[in-house]
Amino acid sequence: MVRKSTRWTKLALSAVTVAAVVVALSIPLGGCGGPSGQTRVVRIGTLKNDLHQVAFYIAQQKGFFEDQGLDVREGGVFSAGPEEMSAFSAGDLDMGYVGTAPAVTFKGQNMADVKIVAQANTEGSAIVVRNGLEANDVAALKGSTIAIPGNSTVQDYLLRTALKKAGISDKDVNIIVVKPPEMLPALASSQIDAAVVWEPYPSMIVAQKAGRVLLTSAKIWPNHPCCMLVADSTFLKKNPDTVRRVVAAQVAATKFIQQNPQESADMAHLYTGQPVDVARAAMKDIKFNYTPDEKGIQRYVEFLKANGVVKIGSVGTFMDNLMYTVYLPGGG
Amino acid sequence: MKKWKVISPLVFIVLWQVLASAGALGKGVPSPVQVVQGLYQLTVTGFPPGYKLLGDILSSLARVLLGFGIAVVLAVPIGILMGWSSWFDVVLDPIVEALRPIPPLAWLPFALVWFGLGYLSAAFVIFLGVFFPVVLNTVAGARSVDPYLEEAARTLGADRRTILLKVIVPGSLPSIFTGVRIGIGVGWMTLVAAELIGVKNGYGLGYMIMNAGEVARFDYVVGGMVVIGLIGFLMDRAIKYAEKRLLKWR
Repeated sequence: MVRKSTRWTKLALSAVTVAAVVVALSIPLGGCGGPSGQTRVVRIGTLKNDLHQVAFYIAQQKGFFEDQGLDVREGGVFSAGPEEMSAFSAGDLDMGYVGTAPAVTFKGQNMADVKIVAQANTEGSAIVVRNGLEANDVAALKGSTIAIPGNSTVQDYLLRTALKKAGISDKDVNIIVVKPPEMLPALASSQIDAAVVWEPYPSMIVAQKAGRVLLTSAKIWPNHPCCMLVADSTFLKKNPDTVRRVVAAQVAATKFIQQNPQESADMAHLYTGQPVDVARAAMKDIKFNYTPDEKGIQRYVEFLKANGVVKIGSVGTFMDNLMYTVYLPGGG
Repeated sequence: MKKWKVISPLVFIVLWQVLASAGALGKGVPSPVQVVQGLYQLTVTGFPPGYKLLGDILSSLARVLLGFGIAVVLAVPIGILMGWSSWFDVVLDPIVEALRPIPPLAWLPFALVWFGLGYLSAAFVIFLGVFFPVVLNTVAGARSVDPYLEEAARTLGADRRTILLKVIVPGSLPSIFTGVRIGIGVGWMTLVAAELIGVKNGYGLGYMIMNAGEVARFDYVVGGMVVIGLIGFLMDRAIKYAEKRLLKWR
């Protein structure tokens, strides 16, 4: 009797084991219950203390990602876009909020294969000048030292566009690269005369009385591209439905910002640690809309190609490969 | 023996080319051929366009030599005094030892405030890298001077000043040279950090490397690395040569 029951127990145990193995094998790797085995876990990279990706903070805070059934993980907080793009090339990120410049240059250099699936914001940069500089327009910047955050950045292009409009050759000014955090002390100590930089730096510079805004980027190039939401191409191919859901959350969060600018600015202040008045002033100059302006991006890509920094063959083919906005309302 | 001097770098370059061509070094790591092409473009066109390699080399050389020169001029006398007089040692040692481990990069914000964006701020960061190895080696050199030599000089009627200049300083020289050789190496090592804050004239090898890296032009990055390596190598050889000439008495 005892023997028999042991045998039955053994049989039952092996049956359970076999069943468990079969079930385990039938679950695809990384599967978290999505249709056709698409993962719902997304590693999203962001930029440190950046106001352009406020939609990301709001989507987290308001549960827009959860509404989409997503498990969004912080893929990494980066001090600058190029570092974030390097994380893409290392395969450490699935999606990310990043500037157009690093996304395009790293893709153009075959270093990271990403696609723009939505936009985070447009505009939101400015030309600031130091105190005591007698300049009321861009033409007055002739002969001065002007800092940009990096060669071939959107800010570099904005400056060259503004100079051209004002009839100044870029040989008549001294354009140098200074990292945004160092621009404030450099302006305050008159080491540089002007700087072109994204928010919140212009608002910080104004708040700390280190300089004033000469021209906002909206006046140089209305609706110019700034930060984007990008997806790794391989991740997109494997998990299109997941990317579609992240884009949906991005759209919901952007709509929230458009409808509640004050509350959004206060949340931006909490997330980035910027003082309330700086966050509010900065957010006023940033336009939040989720549909990228392809013509604007193309204009910028053509600038990169023209100055030879990025080796791109056909701009049209590159653009087709870069843009993937089918998940946006009205996209496709 | 001598032929290995040529063979070893050649083997290194061939191996690098083979691995890079096979894609074994990872995404974006350029091959020697691509680096040479990059160096050519840097020489002719420059990065950003218009800012050519020669300007980068001269500007960086000026910053390194300035920081290095000031560091050696200050570090050698301080090191001799610390090695020779226990009073100086007691007074200065805690300060030197507490400042030494601080990464030069941490001083960047103050370099900007104190020296602006010109040559001096970068030279200051390089100075910080060079100063400490030279001080420590000089101290070790001054301490290593045979006390019998000092004693002998004293019995022969030499005063403290003469002993210092005729016995201690020459006796410390081999160590000082070691310190200087380490120092110039560290000086070039801190160059990228030193030019990180920005440079007013828009030229610099470290500055170029940083900017090219941000747009993923790694052929330029490695090109800049090669140039720094070569200049560092030549300077080390020059110091070694000077050492041989100056220390003939050994």
